[in-house]
Amino acid sequence: MARMKFLCDADRCIECNGCVTACKNANDVPWGVNRRRVITLNDGLPGEKSISVACMHCTDAPCAAVCPTDCFYTTTDGIVLHDKDLCIGCGYCFYACPFGAPQFPTTEAFGVRGKMDKCTFCAGGPDEPGTASEYEKYGANRIADGKLPACAEMCATKALLAGDGDLVADIYRNRMMSRDGRPQTWGWAKAYGAGA
Amino acid sequence: MSLRRSLLAVGAIALTVGLTGCYESSDVTRFEPGQYKGADDPLLAKLEDPEFRAELDQRFEGQRDR
Repeated sequence: MARMKFLCDADRCIECNGCVTACKNANDVPWGVNRRRVITLNDGLPGEKSISVACMHCTDAPCAAVCPTDCFYTTTDGIVLHDKDLCIGCGYCFYACPFGAPQFPTTEAFGVRGKMDKCTFCAGGPDEPGTASEYEKYGANRIADGKLPACAEMCATKALLAGDGDLVADIYRNRMMSRDGRPQTWGWAKAYGAGA
Repeated sequence: MSLRRSLLAVGAIALTVGLTGCYESSDVTRFEPGQYKGADDPLLAKLEDPEFRAELDQRFEGQRDR
């Protein structure tokens, strides 16, 4: 069975924010919530690097470990999803996540947190795929349609790879063999363990 | 005497009506740590379908560099 992973090739990312826009557009993400964002290290300096960051769908997801309502589940493909009907918006997952993936809409008064929203690998949630209720709560379910996550599919330079870990690693390995330098699988060790 | 009874009856009714607003449902959901308690995801069954998996894998293969 596949283990779905994201990998951002920092040498290819040109900080165009196409992935962010694609995600927002595909999932109709509410104002103030960024399921995906591009981080630039050493911005403006020679050798700056940009990385596209979202939920990494960790093997042993810390968000799921700390959730007091146990609203998280992991699909057989390793995609970490959650049930918004159970989420109470406590924010524990936000503090536990090393990637800052969980987002909370603050559309209510006094900064009251809404239900947590995060990248679903474009796999929706525990609703019938393709229904209006699923789209409203979780966004698009492109996986059920046999498609890649919108961010990866939209990436112009193919810096952002998504899919089975073996495939993603193979693509990246082939790239590294034609390049100088060391591989930079940013976030992989933290998300998938030291051996990843 | 009848006035006292009437007052008591009115008081009892007022108390009952007043306390109705203070009712709190004791029907709470208890969560066991570490066990997902939400609805089943129909996507999980779909992912088991070999034909669908092949379609998905083919789409993922499209990410390879040309």
